[in-house]
Order: sequence, then structure tokens, then C-alpha cells
Amino acid sequence: MATLPVLKEYPAQEHPETHFLNHDKSLKSWLLTVDHKRIGLMYLASVIFFFFVGGVLALALRLELWEPARNFMDADTYNRIFTLHGAVMIFLFIIPSIPAALGNIFLPVMLGAKDVAFPRLNLASFYIYVGGALFTLYSMAHGGIDTGWTFYTPYSTTSGSAVISMTFGVFVMGFSSILTGMNFIVTIHKMRAPGLVWGKLPLFIWSLYATAIIQVLATPVLAITLLLLIMERTLGIGIFDPALGGDPVLYQHFFWFYSHPAVYIMIVPAFGIISELIATFSRKTIFGYWAIAFSSLAIAFIGFLVWGHHMFTSGQSELSTVVFSFLTFFVGLPTGIKILNWVATMYKGSIWMQSPMLYAIMFLFLFTIGGLTGIMLGALSVNIHLHDTYYVVAHFHYVMMGGTVFAFLGGLHFWWPKFTGKMFNELQAKIAAVILFIGFNMTFLPQFVMGSQGMPRRYYGYIEQFQTLHQYSTVGSWVLGVGFLLIFWYLVQSLRKGEAAPSNPWGGRSLEWMISSPMPPHNFDYIPVVKHGPYDYHQPIAEFRLGIDDGHSHTETKAH
Amino acid sequence: MSHTDATHSNSHLQHHFVDSDQQFDSAKLGMWLFLVTEILFFGGLFVAYIVYRAWNPELFTMAATQLDTVMGGINTLVLIGSSLTMALAIRAAQTDNPSASIKYLASTVALAFVFMVIKYFEYTHKFELGIYPGEAYSFTGIDHPKAHIFFSIYYMMTGLHGIHVIIGIGIITWLIIKTRNGAFNSSYYTPVEITGLYWHLVDIIWIFLFPLLYLID
Amino acid sequence: MSSSSHHIIPLKVLFATAGALLVLTGLTVAVAYIHIPTPFNIIVAIGIAVAKAVCVAAFFMGLYWDKKINTIALLLSVVFLTLMVGVTLLDTMFREKPSDIYNKMPAPPPTTQM
Repeated sequence: MATLPVLKEYPAQEHPETHFLNHDKSLKSWLLTVDHKRIGLMYLASVIFFFFVGGVLALALRLELWEPARNFMDADTYNRIFTLHGAVMIFLFIIPSIPAALGNIFLPVMLGAKDVAFPRLNLASFYIYVGGALFTLYSMAHGGIDTGWTFYTPYSTTSGSAVISMTFGVFVMGFSSILTGMNFIVTIHKMRAPGLVWGKLPLFIWSLYATAIIQVLATPVLAITLLLLIMERTLGIGIFDPALGGDPVLYQHFFWFYSHPAVYIMIVPAFGIISELIATFSRKTIFGYWAIAFSSLAIAFIGFLVWGHHMFTSGQSELSTVVFSFLTFFVGLPTGIKILNWVATMYKGSIWMQSPMLYAIMFLFLFTIGGLTGIMLGALSVNIHLHDTYYVVAHFHYVMMGGTVFAFLGGLHFWWPKFTGKMFNELQAKIAAVILFIGFNMTFLPQFVMGSQGMPRRYYGYIEQFQTLHQYSTVGSWVLGVGFLLIFWYLVQSLRKGEAAPSNPWGGRSLEWMISSPMPPHNFDYIPVVKHGPYDYHQPIAEFRLGIDDGHSHTETKAH
Repeated sequence: MSHTDATHSNSHLQHHFVDSDQQFDSAKLGMWLFLVTEILFFGGLFVAYIVYRAWNPELFTMAATQLDTVMGGINTLVLIGSSLTMALAIRAAQTDNPSASIKYLASTVALAFVFMVIKYFEYTHKFELGIYPGEAYSFTGIDHPKAHIFFSIYYMMTGLHGIHVIIGIGIITWLIIKTRNGAFNSSYYTPVEITGLYWHLVDIIWIFLFPLLYLID
Repeated sequence: MSSSSHHIIPLKVLFATAGALLVLTGLTVAVAYIHIPTPFNIIVAIGIAVAKAVCVAAFFMGLYWDKKINTIALLLSVVFLTLMVGVTLLDTMFREKPSDIYNKMPAPPPTTQM
């Protein structure tokens, strides 16, 4: 009969000499790393780069829209630029942003594991992403495409632009997303530390779990859709092109079966970050833990059944429009539950208004607007007027940017000390956050107004009455640009001369705060044992540093 | 706790796993998740099939007469046989019998080759009649304006399936080489196990393709 | 054996499964020659295919003895595929022909003569 091992406390080393960033500085150790933290950082650098590419494209678009007629680009170029803005932002930035960057760095650590289940597959996933990105860049170099990021047929099957290289690039990147999802699901199921039952998982993990399930189930359908599109273009298969006897609405069903759940891939991890931020900076255990955990799964499930709300005016049957509209309203319920629970968490909490918390609170406001306007669009009669107008553009920017990007920035600031070992300038961070908030609303609030007054989306020219609103929106885009440049500036400064970060600057209770900043190469030099939930702020920190000896000696001979 | 016994070393245990059981279970779950993606991937083609068959039932009945039921039936038996040999190969690896494992893996590859050869004959026969995928379709024997769509779907489904068979042949051949080099034993046969799972799915997909494409009465 | 995931499938089970698959394949072909009214002919054909797939999954792939999570993953994919098919059919099978929509519209008011 084995005796139970003795629990010891393993305090974190403050300001370690050696950590995962510097234990091996060769280029090869980075390019061939199987360390999830380094892979996550490479993803982070990539998504930030593509965010700036997509952002510059957006600034160009908004500049062109300053005057109703041609400013400096012609209509065909405009079509290519807005298509590229969408494709780059969606596939190269936002889908990998939270899961592949922040998720890769922190998921194993929060689980008390030394890495993800399949570290080499993780590296492969990154290089597949890079490969897909290269195809996209190739497509851009050949003039890009002008079909809109949705590649609707029959235009995409007949357009002269570089459709095949772009769709093939997206096809390849889909596999990166699938591999990340597979890795996360197996890691969460099989590699939790002793004592870490499902009910003690941080909510960020629950959100990554729900997201990974969506990634695994939905992305293959995008893959077959794009493959069929490529076949349609090359062989003239005839499934989607009416001239060949096909049905263009069928393409839309295929496309949106992935692309609607894709928006939940974008927002659900953001929800996870917000749970972490609000609990930590209210110093209070999250209100309704299981409601939030299960609502992520509910959103993942119901989110697969609403895709037709992108197609209300496409010619699909009345029966399906009614079903999709009903389910669209229904999917708002679990999301609403989250918002209420977050607010309830803050109630009577001890609020510490640091910049991550500022982003979380801004998220609550901006995402609520985005979410409610989504419900508006889900109403059939209203949708007839608002479909393909700027109202839709404003809605999705409020949820994707006001939602995901703000949560991403909040998470970036929250975990910055942990993965860089440096603190950033808190005052500059707050100022930048406020600038972003102002710039964002200036850019997109006028678009709700324009859209409801009839301004169509993707239009190169417009009638006089919309010019003032377009100009507000364009000025707003410049304010946003300034805000992002400021963030980039103080974060780079933090790397160069920021104050050394303690292991737990915010007083968190999940496992990542129990190890040094930056993290050790193998995360834990012991087997962590979890006794309490991740929001048990009333328990002393020592209770969260317990573990047992793991009997492994960590020599550096294993290549990482 | 660990499955390894005294006769086999633990060199396959990766550092981030606690023991080889955890590693093996993880590999299996990982492969099942990959199979889930394959099911949804092929599933899209099944959706296209179902939608077009519901719209044009008489077309599907007419066009299916161009498919050779005998060849399709033989291919079904061939793949079922290959699933059996694959399962026997795994069993041989589990029971420290590498020579038997190689025999069964080679049989699986041989049966897969037979499948592809029959497929080759089916396709070339169709090409002779002018039944090509997409715009190249020039067969006049089916009196229906959308006949080319049936065959486009047919070629996409069987073509994609065929590609997966070829990939399977490649991976199983690699397994034969590794087995000959003594890589697998009762403590470590994970690659054989998960390749088996992949191969069985290839069989399952054909189990659905056969009645849906060949046996429309 | 220390854990069920390393279960060695008995030879008898493997051969019995192969046998069952052969029989079911024969049944698949036989059923195609009997005229069964639509939609039951499709239901029967798919039903037999599902039975064969279950044999392969449970016994060749070992799900019968394996950890439940793997079976759940497989079932989940089937559920979502069914949803994709079913909900798409809610559109494709229920479209009204444009001529039907015109026929349902009220007659236009008589034009006034100036």
C-alpha cells in the first residue's frame, strides 16, 4: 500500500538568471523549438505583424472614403484592398491571436503541465501557419483578389484575380488551426496536474477548450469548401456556379457553416480572458463559475446552428430563415449570462483599476453594443434593410475589435510581466487604452448611423449625404492608429528598460503566477498539486505553491 | 503505474508525460480528433451529394448505371479485408511478433494496391466514354442537363478517398520499414495503432460511398 | 494488462467482425436489387452502412474496450455532420419557385385612366 506523498511548498524564484527566453539563445533553438512558450511567442510576433498590415490596409480604405468620388485609388484597387483587409485580419490575425499566441504560452502552465500533448505538432502548426501566410502574400503580390473575404460564387469562380493562391493559402492555414485545437483538447483532457479537476480549471482554459472543439469540427468544412472552389475554378465542377448548373446559395451554406462558428473561435477565448481579468482585478471569486464554463460550451454548440443569418436575403427558403433567426436570438442567451456574471463579480469587489482591468471594462461596454446590434440584425424584417450596409460592418467591428482585440490587449498587458519578465509603464498604458476607446467609437459609431440610413458596405463611392459621417469615421481611424503606435512604443520600451517583474504582480491564484517571471524552461521543477480553485483569493499564496517532487533531473541535453 | 516491463526500455517516454500510458492515451485521443476532422471534411462532400440527389433523384438513378457494381463491390471486400489485416498487424505488434506484423502490414498494402488498380480501371473506362469531371464532360449517354454534376461529385468523393488510400499506403510502408528495424514491441507500438485507426476510417468512408454512389436502384 | 487502452483484441472477435462485414456487404448489394419505395430504400441502405461502420469502429478500432472519450469524439462528429445536412436541407428542400411567390401576391390595384 503506497503512502501518500508529502506536499511541500515550492516558492517561485524571483528575477531568475536563466529562464525560457535565455537558456538557449541560438537561432536554431528558436526555429526548431518544441517549447510551447517559444512557439506561442513566435505566433504572437506574427499576429502582431499581420495586425499592422491589416491596419495599414484599413487606414488606406478609410482615407479613400474621405471624399465620395475617387481620392487616390480606383474602384478595382479598392475592392482588392478591402478583400485583403478582411482576409488578413481574419485568417492571419484574429483567429490565431488568442488561442495560438496567448493560449499556447499559458495553457500548459495553467494546467500544471510541462508542455502541450504534442509539442512537435505544435511547431508544425506554426510553420503551416507561416506557409499559408506565404501563399497569401504571394497572392497579394499578384494583385490580390477582389471578391471580398467571403469569396462568394459565381464571382469567385470567374473573377480574373488570384483566387486560387489566396484560397489555397487560407486552406493551408486552416490546418494550423486544426492542429492547435487538437493539441489543446488532448492536453486539457490528459495532462492536468493532480487535484486539478474540471471544476477548478481557470475559465480561460474552459474557453480554450470550447474554442478547440469548434476549431476541430468547423475548420474541415472550410477546407472542403475552398477545395471545391478551387476545383470549380480549375475543372469547372459546376456545384456552385449557376452557369454550369450549380447553386451559389449552396456555396454560402458551406462557407458560413465554418465562418459563423469561426467568429466564436474569435470571441470565446476573449471571454476567457475577461473572466480572468475581472476576477483578478475585483479580487473576488468569479460569480457563477459553472454558468460561465457551460455557457462557453453552449455558445460553441448553438453557434453551429445559426449560419444562415448571413444569408437571409440570399434566396434561401423562408422556413430556414425563420429557424436561423430564432436560433440567432437563442445564441445571445449564454453570452448575456456571461456579461451579467462578470458585472456581478465586480459588485462589492475590491476593484484595482490597472490597465488590464481598464480593457476588460471597455470590453463590457463595447461588446454589449456589438452583441445587441447582432441581435438587431437577427430580426428578419430589420435584416432586409440592414443586410450588406455599414450597420453590419459596425456590428462586427464592435464584437471583433471592441470585443476580441480589446480582450487580447487586456490579456497581453495582464500576462506581459509573466512572459517577458518586465513591467510596462502603467500610465502610458492607461492613456493608450483611453485613446483607443475614443478612436474606436469615433470610427465605428457613425457607421451604425450610416448603415441604418442605407449606406451600403464595400462601396467605393457614395452619395453626398454620408460624407460627414465617413469623415468622422476616417478621423477616428487615425486616432486608433495613434493609440496602437503608442502601445507598440511603450511595450518595446518595456522590453528594453522595463522594471524587472515579480512572479505575481497582480496577486493571481492560477498556476502561472506561482512560477518565476519569465517562466522556467520546463514550467515546473516539481509536480504541482492543486487544492483550491483559481479565484480563491482569500487563501494564502503558499497554498497554491504546493507540489510533490517529480524525480526528474532536468538536464539541458534534451533539445528544446 | 507505468506499463513498461523489465524487458523493454522506456526510451520512448517523452519528458512532458508522466508515464507511457498517459502518452499512449494522448496519442489515441489525438488521432481520434484528427479522424473527427476527416469525417467533417468528407462530410461536406456528402452534403453536396445529398442536396443534389434530393433535387435530382432521377438523375442519380440514371447516372449510377454507369458505375460498375461488381468492381465497386470487389473494392468494398478488398478494403474490409485490408482492415482485418491491419487489425491483425497491430495485434502482432502488441504480442511481440514483428515478423507476423510485417506480413500483415504488407498484406494491407497489397490490398490497398488492388483497390487503386481497380479504381484505375474504373476511371479509365469512364474517360474512354467521355465521362470527365467538370467542364470536360462530354458523355451523351445520360439524358439529363445536370449529368456532369453527378460525376463531378463522384470524382470528388472517390478521388479524395483515393488520395487518402495512397497516403495510407505510404504510411503503412513506412511502418513496415520501422518494424523491420525493430522499432516496435509490446511496450511501444503507438504509430502502428494510430495508423490503424486512420486506415479503418478510410474503410468506413468507402462503406458509405459504395451504396450511395453505386447502388442507387 | 495494466490498462484497457492496451487491450489486445481476441482473434475470434476480429474474424467474427470480418465475417459480419462480409455478410452485411452481401446484404447491401442484395437490398439494392429489391425495389423498396423511396425514402425507405435510402434508409435501409444507410442503415446497413451504419451497422458496418459500427462494427469497424467498435471492434476493429477497439472503441468497445477503449476509454469513453474517444467514442464521444466520434459520436460528436456524426451529430454535427447530421446537423449540417439537416439544417442545409431546411433550405434546399423548402424553396418556393419564384412563380409560386408571384401567384401568392395579391392582384395589383387597377391603374387609373388619365
